[in-house]
Amino acid sequence: MATLVPPATTAPPPPSPDSKPAEPEKVDYMDLPCPIPYEEIHRESFMSLKPELFEGLRFDFTKGLNQRFSLSHSVFMGPTEVPSQSAEVIKIPTAHYEFGANFIDPKMMLFGRILTDGRLNARVKCDLSENLTLKANAQLTNEPHMSHGMANFDYKGSDFRTQLQLGNGALFGASYIQSVTPHLALGGEVFWAGQHRKSGIGYAARYNTDKMVATGQVASTGMVALSYVQKVSEKVSLASDFMYNYMSRDVTASLGYDYILRQCRLRGKIDSNGCTAAFLEERLNMGLNFILSAEVRIDTYCFFFFFFFFFQLILCQPPQAIEQSTGF
Amino acid sequence: MASRVALKTKSKGAKGGAKPADERSAVKCLKEWSTWTVKKAKVITHYGFIPMVIIIGMSSEPKPSISQLLSPI
Repeated sequence: MATLVPPATTAPPPPSPDSKPAEPEKVDYMDLPCPIPYEEIHRESFMSLKPELFEGLRFDFTKGLNQRFSLSHSVFMGPTEVPSQSAEVIKIPTAHYEFGANFIDPKMMLFGRILTDGRLNARVKCDLSENLTLKANAQLTNEPHMSHGMANFDYKGSDFRTQLQLGNGALFGASYIQSVTPHLALGGEVFWAGQHRKSGIGYAARYNTDKMVATGQVASTGMVALSYVQKVSEKVSLASDFMYNYMSRDVTASLGYDYILRQCRLRGKIDSNGCTAAFLEERLNMGLNFILSAEVRIDTYCFFFFFFFFFQLILCQPPQAIEQSTGF
Repeated sequence: MASRVALKTKSKGAKGGAKPADERSAVKCLKEWSTWTVKKAKVITHYGFIPMVIIIGMSSEPKPSISQLLSPI
């Protein structure tokens, strides 16, 4: 005889995918993400709108001796700007050779470059403990009183970061940034320059989602900077930037795009000062990179074009990304 | 009145003269010593940073050879 089998108790059916997005996610305020460092608050707009535009010819060759240690040789020929009293920009054609040594370890990074005129650029980044990092950089010259050095101590907490900065010429600075919600981070900084008898305080805010980043920064030196970056797709992002100095009544606005493709990266921008720039970085081959840059300034009728070949030879491993060498 | 004020300031000057002199020389000594240290550190860093990076790199694993260091390819 057939018996009716009562339906076994089963778990309730899983909610359909349509109903899930309707509920707002519960925010755990004790578990907020760690914000990005205060000095990198404008990072996305900076990367898109301010590529390293140069003038002249540069050839770079990096030779890796093992995974961590590499030597680099670089030749640069082109005009360099000389600071002048008048509003005009004075450029002097220069050429120099630069020898560099890099040591990159997970815990310590050493980066040194010495030029033919005796200038040394040194950078050190060291993880003193899991949360505390020391970063130091120095530009040393043979001329007296023209050398600079700075050391930063960064402490990273679970949802905040704080930094203490010490520099020569009695320069002291401190900054703090805190995640307030999963998308919003607020921070402030204060600095004191003993040699120039200046001090200042500033505040910044950053709101980011997966698709956009909006930042704002105000400082007592008179600077107000706002930026907005929208990620249109995986490969394309658009950025805009507004800088206003309320002391000197100077305003600059710029608009730009950033295409990150498989073999190349193309960035372009247009400015309210009448400056248009484009910057192309292409990976021609394994280890060979090519950079083309052009800038047209309508207000001063200046045109800059730059070609840069970057050749990296590593004996045992594929070359490290460009970002690693310019990251810190 | 003026002479009394003048006497007062004179005696104050005589008493206070001994202490600041010691403190001043200690502060001056410290400043001179720190300036000397910073100057020497700058010279050492200027000449020694790149050799130090090369020595640290050459002693990291796997050890590269001197010929790799000197050859241009």
